[in-house]
Formats: sequence, structure tokens, C-alpha cells
Amino acid sequence: MIPRFALARPASLAEAFDAWDATDGDASWYAGGTEILQVMKMGLARFGTMIDLKRIPELRGISLAAGDGALVIGGSVTHREIEVSQDVARELPGLVALEAHVANIRVRNQGTLGGNLCFAEPHSDPATFLLACDARVRLQGRGGTRDVAIDQFITGPLETAREADELLTAVIIPPARSGEGRAYEKAKFRERPAVSVAIRLRVQGGAIAEAYVSVGSLTDIPVLVPDVAAAFVGAQADAAAGTFGEALAQARARLGHLDAIGDLDGSPDFKRHLAGVVLGRAAIAALSEAAARA
Amino acid sequence: MPETIDITLSVNGLAHELAVQANVTIADLLRLELGLTGAKISCDMQVCGACTVLVDGLAVSGCTYLAVDADGREVATVEGLATDGVLNPLQQAFIDHAAFQCGYCTPGMLMSATALLAENPRPSRAEVIAGIDGNICRCTGYLPIIDAVLQAAEAGAQR
Amino acid sequence: MTRVEPWRVTTRPTPPSPIGESVPRRDGVAKVTGAARYATDMAVPGMAWAKVLRSPYPHARIRSIDTSAAKALPGVIAVVTAEDLKARGDINLYYGHALTDHPILADGVVRYSGEAVAGVVAEDELTAYEAAQAILVDYEPLTVVVDVEGALGSGAPVIHEKEAKQGFHRGFDEDIQRDHPNVCSTAVQKFGDIDAAFAGAHLVLEGEYRYPNSYAYAMEPYNSMAEWRHGGLTVWTSCQHPFMVRDDVSHVFNLALANMRVIAPYVGGGYGSKSYTKIEPLTAALALVAGRPVKLVLSIDESILTTRGDGARVRIKTAFEADGRIRGRQAEILLNTGAYAENSPLVARKSANRISGPYRIPALDITCRAIYTNTAPASSFRGFGAPQGVLPGESQIDEAAERLGIDPIEIRRRNVVAPGEAPWPKVRGLDADLQADLSLVAEALDWASTPQPSHARGIAISASDAGSEPVSTALIRIHVDGSATATIGTSEIGQGSATVMAQIVAAELGIPLENVSLLQSDTAAVAYDRSTGASRSTTIVGLALQDAARDARAQLREWAGEVWSAESIEEARGGLVVGGVHRGWGEIVGAYFAGDFGEVVGRGRVRKVGATKQMPPFWEVGCVGVEVHVDEETGQIRVDKLVTVGDVGCAINPQLVESQDLGAAIMGFGMALTEELIYTDEGTLLNGNIVEYRVPRASDMPEYIGIIAERGDGVGIYGAKGGGEGSLNPVAAAIANAVRRAAGIRLREAPFTPERVWLAIRERDAAK
Ligand code: FES
Ligand code: FES
Repeated sequence: MIPRFALARPASLAEAFDAWDATDGDASWYAGGTEILQVMKMGLARFGTMIDLKRIPELRGISLAAGDGALVIGGSVTHREIEVSQDVARELPGLVALEAHVANIRVRNQGTLGGNLCFAEPHSDPATFLLACDARVRLQGRGGTRDVAIDQFITGPLETAREADELLTAVIIPPARSGEGRAYEKAKFRERPAVSVAIRLRVQGGAIAEAYVSVGSLTDIPVLVPDVAAAFVGAQADAAAGTFGEALAQARARLGHLDAIGDLDGSPDFKRHLAGVVLGRAAIAALSEAAARA
Repeated sequence: MPETIDITLSVNGLAHELAVQANVTIADLLRLELGLTGAKISCDMQVCGACTVLVDGLAVSGCTYLAVDADGREVATVEGLATDGVLNPLQQAFIDHAAFQCGYCTPGMLMSATALLAENPRPSRAEVIAGIDGNICRCTGYLPIIDAVLQAAEAGAQR
Repeated sequence: MTRVEPWRVTTRPTPPSPIGESVPRRDGVAKVTGAARYATDMAVPGMAWAKVLRSPYPHARIRSIDTSAAKALPGVIAVVTAEDLKARGDINLYYGHALTDHPILADGVVRYSGEAVAGVVAEDELTAYEAAQAILVDYEPLTVVVDVEGALGSGAPVIHEKEAKQGFHRGFDEDIQRDHPNVCSTAVQKFGDIDAAFAGAHLVLEGEYRYPNSYAYAMEPYNSMAEWRHGGLTVWTSCQHPFMVRDDVSHVFNLALANMRVIAPYVGGGYGSKSYTKIEPLTAALALVAGRPVKLVLSIDESILTTRGDGARVRIKTAFEADGRIRGRQAEILLNTGAYAENSPLVARKSANRISGPYRIPALDITCRAIYTNTAPASSFRGFGAPQGVLPGESQIDEAAERLGIDPIEIRRRNVVAPGEAPWPKVRGLDADLQADLSLVAEALDWASTPQPSHARGIAISASDAGSEPVSTALIRIHVDGSATATIGTSEIGQGSATVMAQIVAAELGIPLENVSLLQSDTAAVAYDRSTGASRSTTIVGLALQDAARDARAQLREWAGEVWSAESIEEARGGLVVGGVHRGWGEIVGAYFAGDFGEVVGRGRVRKVGATKQMPPFWEVGCVGVEVHVDEETGQIRVDKLVTVGDVGCAINPQLVESQDLGAAIMGFGMALTEELIYTDEGTLLNGNIVEYRVPRASDMPEYIGIIAERGDGVGIYGAKGGGEGSLNPVAAAIANAVRRAAGIRLREAPFTPERVWLAIRERDAAK
């Protein structure tokens, strides 16, 4: 049962911070509520005041940054809005595909990307993908605004670098460079992924020039695995090529060294194995996107 | 105890002005205050869809959606699907295909399908499956439900 | 995935209309408009809300309970513990129809994590919840045992110190033997010379199999509402057996049955999990203490902690001839029954009966023991002990086929009993034709063709001694306008009883279906019925209705003879031909009472005599085929195609039969692939919610061919017999058999999770 609380419904960022200041800190922001209301219902959290962010125009909308054309997703944009966004479909199709499979349609209608990241659930799909995409979040508080890279932002399971009185106002994802492909794949047996892998590759002259790999649901938070990614660098950008196969085998072997956590979906051994399977599928998808952006 | 909040919302086209506690979910508001017990509570974790209602046309989990968040919005529930006692094509298709047994999932299933058909009036079989995949039915094995939604789409297209 | 039009194979005589017609469900409009009322939707004036405090410890002594803070909260009406109930002197704390081992609230000791320790009644549900959290309990943890091996091991904690009294529903007496303090019951099924069977065998197969602790997940959680008035008690509840709940609760409160009323409105799913008494005694006790009507609605998480399905460890050994004929089978089944007996003694009995299958087996030696552990209590669940035994039994049939070089269908053909032949002594002969059913599945699966790589087909069959006790009554009132009201004690749990029973009444009276109304599941208003379970209603209650219709017609015949003093009276559709004139039922009623009023009451009953004397009343067979694909990388099994045979004698409503078969098979599919309640060794349930206990979804559905075989061979009306469980029982075995053929691995532990498949593949590859 959701415990009783007082509600504030600010209509601007300024009002939001005023609302925060009017509490003694026993407060939480919420937008869709799909994460926070659930934990409150389960008795795992309780706040005197909940501050609704849905009426704040500054947190809405998806746009392309004027300078570098980065994708800027407002803090209260829902999963569903991302899933159907033309801009996102063009700039980052992998995110559309990912969002289309987050939880279920109701959660996607209600829940926000910002909320998902702030909650830092260890099995978060978007966090894993955005990590490989070199995304950052914009945090704003009374004291000002700061941008934090995702890997700096998520500090532990259910823990982030955000101060309680700071707001995540936007998620910013750099544009794809030429020859770049970004893909996300997961193995999922229940509601949440058993394991997920995201990869960003840049292809130049028929070979993989740069690679970034992140894994989710394997360790206690989604992490970048640079040594796994490094295995791909130099391989031919062709899934059928021998050097690619060797790179993949090498990358899988390196995944085997990760300190995985066993859970309901399987033992650490099985999950590392699965990560390797999913890595292969993600790498091939990233290669084909890279080819399209060549 | 925190005071109540005044909200206005329409439910199945009927306007309501209500004073609600902030922690009350839309499902509890409908079921306990407005006597609309169609939407059901089952998992209470946003996973089964028995509580599905539409807010401004979007399906949400009534068990985890605050009534105050529906302030100024239109809420649609299973009780609003039939007009003057006449079933709509989706409801009729559910009966034709025996797309339910115990019926506990049915109100939510119907509302998810309603949202799907409003957005995509001629869905493919795969799109129907994707549209109701977030709704659990423990009785039927789903196939009759999928067939019913497809029949309703067909009927909608012929009108 | 798609669905192929159902196949129908009919050799029975044509029954009267509307039997055999897929008339629309009579609960349809109510269920698609949201008008259908379930127990969760009920309210009465002055009603208060209850919540339960549950134990965080799986096994502990309760040193003390401090309820003062909870009682002090505004809005709290009553806080109740076992001590409070005992102090009253008018409540029997312990209940249970098989064994009275279950306290309404924990009585000094908790035996599983989630056990009810205290109840709170408050003006609203949130206050009750918060007050429950404010109760302070001092526990002294005890040693915990969560699995059957542990419970039978030396040094295992004794879960029930005191021997419990037998419950009021007899029938388990011989099974209640406790050769170990943690044994709840023992069922034995033994005949023939087992030693000789194994000694002379060409092939002996041995294996250990496991079936998961499961959860039925009826989407409507356990809930009830109780109101005391004028010394009587009314309980609205989501239950399958209103009369049994009545009997159980009346014992708790020492009430005459006449003062105890149980009403089961539409039930939001049962699948066996709502058979027998659950939270009704607690709700009624809270209402009594609070002096208010009380409503208690559990969450699904709490429902999981209330009743689950029995997990099993099965050690099985089967002896074969070189030609594949079975010589004998020996098995030890250990059921993980959890902290309380509930209905597990009967599950154990049925599991022992069902593991041998529909086969001609000369010698059998089966022991099934229900074992207490510190886990949530297990009880009836669709299939009722059958799937636990069919997985090992049917796996071994396939294993033998492989070893002996015989086709899996052929080996079954060589062993199945013929129609009319009894699989074991002193039981009814099989009222089904499994040879024919096997042919149907083979044809639907295209068994002879070669499947694609990584794909394979598998089949399995089963037979359950179904029908429960054949004890039901029914009343039919024919009104002066010729319409009729029937009253029955069967609950509408989704199976379609409201539709099928009305069809039977319409056919038996020869009146239009729309002129039949049905009153169900109110113990104060309807005729007695034993239970809604064991697939019995269409068969047993159908016979009671037929008897009631016969009784009504006989009375009307007498009345017509008196009124018109006619020489010749002939039966006709919808009435009688009296002296050459057709007189409708209503006309006869009116003429008899000399006006536009009156009615006739037909009384029907079924008991263990005549056609329903021999047990079981009928057999429920299962015959399932699947085609699967195994992803050897991820270990995921995908069922591409599913074939079931509803061997139901006569399908009163074919659409409903198909609906039951598909639903049952998909439930079996869940148990085979994903469903398992996972306990830590410390007794914590890791996935006691629907996020982590995964049931099948729309996107998991295979292509489906539902075959309905109607050969008029059941004991019920028009040759009908029950369905709705048979298609669940063989599913896990059929999938395991198909996976063996697809990937060369033998899965012996359900559910067949990706990791288990992957491990088996690794083992296979290592052996190469
Ligand atoms: S009750 Fe809301 S999704 Fe299950
Ligand atoms: S009809 Fe019972 S859960 Fe769907």
C-alpha cells in the first residue's frame, strides 16, 4: 500500500526547487512513478512530500542540440515518447528498439527515461545502452547545472551521483559519427533482462577502428568493459570474416573474467556465457548499422 | 495527516470533482469511491495488467498510477465500452471467441486492446501480440484473445 | 502464433439441442462490461478492513507479541492474535479438512516465512496495514528445513510436535501414517510381483526427477468478507467449494450448518488453488472480535504464501520387455507439502495413483509421501499430483523407446489399456480410447515427416482417476410460464459451468436456453454440491440436473394425468402429449394449481450407487504432442506447436472444451519451462511475486491444434466426462521428450530453464 504523503505540483523548475526548499528534505521527485511508487508500495521507501515533475515544461520534449546535433531527451520524457520519436528513430534507432521492449506498454506510457536512470536499477536496459553510447545526464540544482557521464552517474545499485535536491533535466547522447554503429541486445527470461550487452563500433576502411562495450545485469551495475571492447579493434568489419570471428572469441573469453553475480536467471558462469552470446548478436547488429552510416 | 487535493477528471465521459488523498491510486478511486469495480487488482506490481485503464487514451497500470495524476484528464474504463447496453465490436468479439474464462483479466485486456486499436486500427497478428503482451491471462492460453482482437479490427475496418 | 480450427472426431449419437453446440458463454456480457462481481468487489454497510502481519522467520517460536502501539493508532478497531482467539473459548483455533493442523493465527510457533501471526481490523485498509507493521513480535529462530531430503534427514527439526487430529472429511485415514515426524501422509499403490518383474526384465531404467514448487496464480487473490448477524455467519469468498468451506468454518465456530452461509460469486481463477478453506476462518474470526463486517483482501504476494502446488522428488524405476512392454514400475515420490497439510494427503494419494499412467502394468510398487517443510503450505493444484509423476513416467517410456529402437508412439500403443480395461485392480475400466487419440496426435503433428534442424517432436500421455466423490444434488424449478430455474452448488470459476449447466437443463426439459436461469454457489440458497474440482462438475452435477429434470417431468406427468384424466401421456419436447394434445410444462403447472401460478420442484441427486458406484467416476486422459526448437546458445526452448486431445465423451459446449484444453496445456507449459518458487536454504522465498515468478505470456504461445474426441464413452449425460486437467498433465513430459530428440539431452528437472538446458548441453558435449 502506498503510504500517505503530501503532494507538490510545481509548474516550472524554479517552483520545483521552491517546493523542495519548503520541505525538510523528506521529499522525492517523481514523474511517471513506475519505480518510486512501487518501492513505496513495498514499504522500502517513504517520503513526507512527493514533488510531481510532469507539469514542468523545461523537462519535456526531445530535440537535437544546436551545436553538435546531440540528442537531448528531457527529464520527464516517457519511454513511449522515445519509442515513437522520429528524431530518435533517425539518430539512434537502437534506442527505439530498446525502448519498445522495456517492461510493458503501460510502464512505457507512464515511466520516464530520466526516472529509470535516477533509480539505477541494476537491470536497467537504457543505462546499459547509454553507457556504451557515451551519453551524459544534465543535473540541475539550486547551485547550478552540471553534466555527468553515465558511468560517473551510476555509482552503485540504486545509487547515483545525483544529490537528493538535484533534478535530472536531460539525457544527452552524442550523435553518431560516420561509420559508427550502436546496438543493444539482451537475453530475457523474466520481466527484466537476464543479461544485456551494448556495443558502439566505428568502422574505418573496412576495419573496426574503435569499440566500446557495456554489459548490464551481469555485475551489480551496468559497466563499460574496455578490455572486451579492445578485442574488436582492428578486426574486419564483416561478421563473416575470420578476424571478426577471432575478435569475438577473444572478447567472449575476456567477458569470462568478469565478476558476475548469480541470480534467479542463472549462475555467474551461465550469465557470462549468455553475455558472450548476446555480445555476438549485438556486434553483428552494430556492424550493419555502421555500414549504413558509412 | 496530509490534506486532500481537489481534482477534476472525467471518467467514461462523466465529469467528477473530487477531493482525494495524494497516495490514492486511480484503481482505488474508481473501485472504492466511484463504484466502478471493472478494473481489477491482481499483481499490484504493474506486470499483469488487470488494472489497466486509459488516461487520455494511454494505457496505464491503475494499481500504480496516482489519482491526482489524472487531474484534468479523461479516464476510460471497461464500464465505458458499451453504449446504451450495446456491446462494442471488441466486446462482442471477446464473447464470440470465448476470449475469457474467469474474466478477471478481461477488463484490463479489453482496455489494452482498445488502446492498441485506437492507435493501430488494422494491427497484424504480431502487433496484437505485442499490444497485449503486458497483460497476463492465466485461464485462456491467449489465442482466443488474439483472435478476438483481430476480429474486432476487422469489424472496425468494415464500418 | 496461429490457431488451427479445432478438429472434431465424433462417433457418439447426436444429443438433443443445445447439447454439442458452442452457445455463447452466459457470463459473457457481465464479464466484458465490467459488471461481473467477484468477491473482491463486494462490500456491505459498516464494513471494516483487515490486514495480516506475517512472520519474517520460516521457523521460530514466538516469545511475545506487543500489540499496544498498533492498538493505539487512530482508526484501529481490533488487533488479534492466537492468544486472543483462544481466550474467547468459542473458537476452535485449528482447522483443516484432512488434518486439523492449521491454526487460524500462529499459535506460539511459526512454521514458514509468511505465516499469519496477527490480524488487524481498521476503518480503512491502509490504517490496518500500518497498524500491522506496528505490532512487535519477539521471535526465537529455530532450525529450518526447506526440502524433502532435509526434512527426512537425521537431525531435522520436527515441524509439528503434536499429532494433529483427523479433519472432518474422512477418506485419508489409511494414508495418515507417520513413520517420521515430518511425514504428513503416505499413500501406497501396490500390486503384482514386483521383484519378479524386475528380475526377468530385458531393460531396467532408473532415474531421479524433480518437479517444482509452483503457484497457480489465480488472478483474483484470496479474499473474503465476513458478517455476523443474529448469531449466524455469512462469508463471501473466492472459493471453489462453498459447501466444504461452510463445513470447515462451521467447525471452527461451532455453528449449525443452517446458520452458516457461504457465497462464492464469480471466482477470478481457481485451478484447484481455491479448493478448500483458506482465509475464511481468519476473516470470520476478525469480524467476530471486531463486531463489524470485515473484508480481507490478500495481495498476490500474500496469496503465494497462502497456498502453492506441491513440488516433488521422484525416484523411479521401470522394467521393460525387449518389445517395449512394461513389466513393472517402482517409484518413491516425495512431495514438498510445506508447513501444513491442507489437501496434500489427497494430492499424495492421487500422485501415487497416477504415476503408472494408462498402461497395462503387471506389477506396481509406488509410495508417495507428503512431507512437511518450512515453506508455504501446498495443496490442490490443477492436475493434482499427476504432472509430478507423468514427467518421470513418460520420460522413461521415451527412454525405453530410444534404447529398444521403437518409435515413441508405437511403444505406447503396445502398452496402453484398451477401452474398458482397468489399469489396476478394482477400478473402473478406462472410458477412453487412447490408441485412437495417439493416432490423432500423430496426424496433427505430422509425426512421420522429418522436422527442421534443432526442431523435434515429442508426445506424452496420462490418465487420472478423476471426478472426486460423486456426491451432488440439484433442484430445478419449472415455473408457470414454462421457464426454469436450476440451483446448483458448483462455482463459476471460469470453466463455463454457468453455460454448460444451463445447456443441460434446456436439453433435458426441451425448452429454449434463454428460458433457463441458474443460481449457483450460495450455500443458503442452492442445493448441496460437494466441490468444484477434479473436473467433475459437467459429469456429476450434470447427472444431478438430469435426475432433477426427470423428477420434475415425472411429477408433471402425474399432475397431467390427474388434471386431464387422460389415458395416454407421451413425453414430448418441452412438455407432454396428453390425450393427443401437446401441453407445455408451464401449462401443466398452471392447470394443476388451477390458475396462473404455482411451480414444480424437481429434485436430483447423485451418489455412489448405480452408474457412479465404481470409482473413479471417470478417467481423465491426456494426450499431448509438441514440436519444439532448442536454442543451443542461450538454452531457451521454444514450443512451436502444441496438440491436445480433449477426450471428453461428449462436448456439451465444444468451444468451452477447447478453451479448457488450451488453458490447461499452457499452464503445463508454464510449469515445464519457467514456473518455480525458489527458496533459499534459509527458508526465504526469492521470487514470491509475479515479476519474478514468470507465467506464460501471449508472445510465448505456440501454434495450436485442439482436437476434441467424442465417443460417448463417459458416465455422464450423453456419454460426457470431465476435462480441463488432462491436457496439462503430459505437457512437461512431452516437451522433455521432444527436447531429447532435438538436442540429445534428457531433462529431469522441471522447469527446463535456459541454464538447466545449457548445463545439459555442456554435459552432452563433454561426453562426446
Ligand atoms: S494489478 Fe496493476 S498491473 Fe497487475
Ligand atoms: S480469463 Fe481468467 S485470467 Fe484471463
